[in-house]
Amino acid sequence: MKIPVSWVKDFVDLKVDAQQLADDLTGVGLACDGIEMFGNEAVLDLDITTNRVDAMNMYGVAREAATIYGLPLKPLPVDFSETGAPSSDVLRVEIEAPELSPVFSARIFDVRIGASPAWLKDRLELAGHRSINNIVDLSNYVMLEMGQPTHAFDLRNIRGGVLKARMAAAGEIVKTLDEVERKLSSTMGVVADAEGALAVAGIMGGASSEISDGTKTVALEAAYWNPLLTRRAAKALGMHTDASHRFERGADPAAGPTSIWRFANLAAKGGFATARPVQVQARATEMPARRLTLNLGHVDARLGAHISGEQSMRTLTKLGFEVAPVDPNRDQELSVLVPTWRSDVTREVDLIEEVGRHHGLMKIARSVPPSRRAAGLTHAQVTERRVKGLLSGLGYREVLHQNFASSAKADPSLGTVVMIANPLSVEQDSLRTSLIMPGLLEGLERNQRHGARDIQFFETGRTFNPGPDGPIETPRLALLVSGTTPRGWAGKARARDFFDLKRTVEEILARHTNAEIVMDREGVPPFLHPGRSVMIKLDGKIRGYLGEVHPDTIAAFALKDRPVVAEIEMDTLSSRDALAFTSFSRFPEVARDLSILAPTTASAADVIAAAKAKAGSTVRSVEIIDRFEGQGVPAGQVSLTLSFLFQGETRTLSSEEVERSMDDVRASFSEQGFGARGLT
Amino acid sequence: MTSLDDLKKRAHELREKLEGQLASATDSASLQSVRDRFLGRKAGEVTALFKDLGKMAVEARKDAGEALNALKEYSETKIGEAEARLERKLRESRLSSERIDVSLPGRARAVGSKHPLTLVREEVEDVFIGLGFDIFDGPEIDDDFHCFEALNMPADHPARDMQDTFYLEGAPPRLLRTHTSTGQIRSMLANENPPGVRVLCPGRVFRRDDDITHSPMFHQFEGLVVDHGISLSDLMGTLETFIHRLFGKEYPVRFRPSYFPYTEPSVEVDMGCSTCKGRRTGCRVCKQTGWVEILGSGMVHPAVFEAVNKRLGKVVYDPAKVSGFAFGTGIERVAMIKYGVSDIRLFYESDVRFLEQFA
Repeated sequence: MKIPVSWVKDFVDLKVDAQQLADDLTGVGLACDGIEMFGNEAVLDLDITTNRVDAMNMYGVAREAATIYGLPLKPLPVDFSETGAPSSDVLRVEIEAPELSPVFSARIFDVRIGASPAWLKDRLELAGHRSINNIVDLSNYVMLEMGQPTHAFDLRNIRGGVLKARMAAAGEIVKTLDEVERKLSSTMGVVADAEGALAVAGIMGGASSEISDGTKTVALEAAYWNPLLTRRAAKALGMHTDASHRFERGADPAAGPTSIWRFANLAAKGGFATARPVQVQARATEMPARRLTLNLGHVDARLGAHISGEQSMRTLTKLGFEVAPVDPNRDQELSVLVPTWRSDVTREVDLIEEVGRHHGLMKIARSVPPSRRAAGLTHAQVTERRVKGLLSGLGYREVLHQNFASSAKADPSLGTVVMIANPLSVEQDSLRTSLIMPGLLEGLERNQRHGARDIQFFETGRTFNPGPDGPIETPRLALLVSGTTPRGWAGKARARDFFDLKRTVEEILARHTNAEIVMDREGVPPFLHPGRSVMIKLDGKIRGYLGEVHPDTIAAFALKDRPVVAEIEMDTLSSRDALAFTSFSRFPEVARDLSILAPTTASAADVIAAAKAKAGSTVRSVEIIDRFEGQGVPAGQVSLTLSFLFQGETRTLSSEEVERSMDDVRASFSEQGFGARGLT
Repeated sequence: MTSLDDLKKRAHELREKLEGQLASATDSASLQSVRDRFLGRKAGEVTALFKDLGKMAVEARKDAGEALNALKEYSETKIGEAEARLERKLRESRLSSERIDVSLPGRARAVGSKHPLTLVREEVEDVFIGLGFDIFDGPEIDDDFHCFEALNMPADHPARDMQDTFYLEGAPPRLLRTHTSTGQIRSMLANENPPGVRVLCPGRVFRRDDDITHSPMFHQFEGLVVDHGISLSDLMGTLETFIHRLFGKEYPVRFRPSYFPYTEPSVEVDMGCSTCKGRRTGCRVCKQTGWVEILGSGMVHPAVFEAVNKRLGKVVYDPAKVSGFAFGTGIERVAMIKYGVSDIRLFYESDVRFLEQFA
């Protein structure tokens, strides 16, 4: 809110400059976002929190300043002289809906519509309001000064000499000042005359009773409108006005009559309107003043600082609270009457805040709570950190994507989607069922667009599917490799493939699970290449997949290269049991290599398993160290070089016994019809 | 009969001859032939002179022997020196031929990195773990009770306007949490050792906003401390410690009153602007105030304790006996200040040109 400092000075004799005032107001909770200078006029831009409707006006800011500096707060000038016949001769007011408006006032003014005098126009403009005419401007001026919105009706257009506060009839139509026809519902309040609605209560006046150049007499109305009803109506109508902003947050129920007096006072000063005698008023319900008890011990306990009773009383009194000891013998407890303009103060703790903020938070010494027994990270959180550390060490970059996805593009094999009732767009109308689809593939495409094709990504995050008791959130780890190994002067880059990512998946699983790991083709989802993909099963249960992206999916996402992806459920991984020491043999190792010719249909895993079984108990590992098809190898066959490592647990092995083991292996391969390519 | 003088003369000639031949021996083969010619057991000229020793007069033999030994020693030394020199030269020439262009870059390999938001999140977590906090994970899908009602934001509360909410289809009504403050309620409800609580709840949150400074999904962390005798002083000390650990002690910290429905008093926490270093002039980051908002915080509102008690069906957190403070902020916000990132969308675009700066 724009606050011209000179306007505040009408009510308090400030001795500080604008910068100091801005800093001090910020210190009590009226944050200043900036100071603008217009000639000699400094205007503060205050960010006033939604609870402090009392401070959304010049007088409220002056009250805070008077409290900060211990200066007197001058009363609002409200004296004026009256001329003509009583207002009540031509106008009466009625409250038909007490829950909507407990108090409703009005007065007749004889007016000369014209341009506003300079003092009025200049101040409004400093406060960021456009000047319209003297009556509208003055109404705005009063609102900016004391927070109470008022509304001027052209008396000619009030039918039946009555203004009523009532609920709208369902379907009742009002054309508001912005020339929009508003269809109202029965939960919205209106100001009406004998024949129909004239204005939407607390939000905006109507076009039919709008004052114009020909207006000679106005009825100025000031009422208190129920915050909740005003808020719901404004929201339903999609309207937000200066008036609704204030009424929604709880205006001062006592300010209505005063605001009309203030209008009369300033109108007389401007010489463009005179008040008729008698203010007509309806009061349906009393709004009882709120009385709270403040225990001074609670002030100290909550703030963590000692603040004297005298200081607490002084602060509250300056802010308009009436304070007296509950019992003259027990001065620890104060009885506090909350002023009508502080609808936000409803509990003792609110009073403590008042005392605290005017004491100055920066004056309170800082401490930290005593130490306690704490667990820190859970095992799942430790695991996630370790996996992220491992993957960044292995050359993967972590990425993060939105949870939202298009339901139309969701892959049915990943389960039903959870739909968003009010999405931002159809592209984001559901929650993702996979981190790969579409997040990582879209992320890859964006990078490929600017030429970055050598990519290794990982992401952790949740996917969503409906469950019997509501949506299920599943934390997952997703991986993607694409393009080639890094290019450089020192060697040729090669395309990344299934086996690059398989190795990473193996590294992760080896470190984070003790479960039996099986990877097979059964059940591979349709967005993966059927010949180059596996499902990852842990202890017999599907927990993820790994594979090359299907050519159709590559086309659908407009991707280049042949990306390989994997997804694993995070809760299968644990850092808890994976690390354990196993003692190792200190006897020498004996290495032997064997090349064989196997049919291309033979699975490497079977070949290794068979070799291991035949090599006896002293073989420690069998690995495939070379694989070759083509020149020199008969069609339909593949040359495999197996590397065997033998080692005794308790003794040095003789070369004879190693040879015997290798003979057994050779014999077995030969029985299976595999050709030997010689022992190397 | 060889005379001593002859022998000495001969020895002298050999010395000169040796020096001459060594000077022209530039490789190991010619050096070996010099050695053979002079010191070779069969044909070496120095060796041959020793054979003449027997032909000399007995009285001259001692002097002659000394002279020959000196010659032999001299020859050994000179040839040895020449061999060492040659070896040094050969090694030098090999080393010089093995010279590489050290200005070439190191061999390329894939480099990985954690996401900048993960870096910030882990750093924040670690600071609070050091202060005795547990890290609490809550669901991203939640309900009105945990997200609003229990946080003193009943239906129609104006503060809900600032948190435009995504709702899910289906019943019962569910929403995507608009803030990690849900963690306050969930951690109190799940607390195994009440009434003490000290948790940090980091995670994803969702709001119906999408522009340069807002993303419909972003990350926050929420902290909650509840115990007997917790005061505003504890709030300020804890958060000042946090900011100083994360950004450095050179940054001043400012606490000022603010408003959140679920805290009372509410406190906004500012830190000195890291862009203009508090100089104010012309700084767009802090709008020339010298301060940037870094955390929202406050003392837990009694209504929050009351809502939790009601859900638990008994008074576990009696507002007359226990108190607490809560705080929170956006992880993106912290990362943007810490790393000088100006567009929030960069965090979710997986652009390697952005990510590689955080390796």
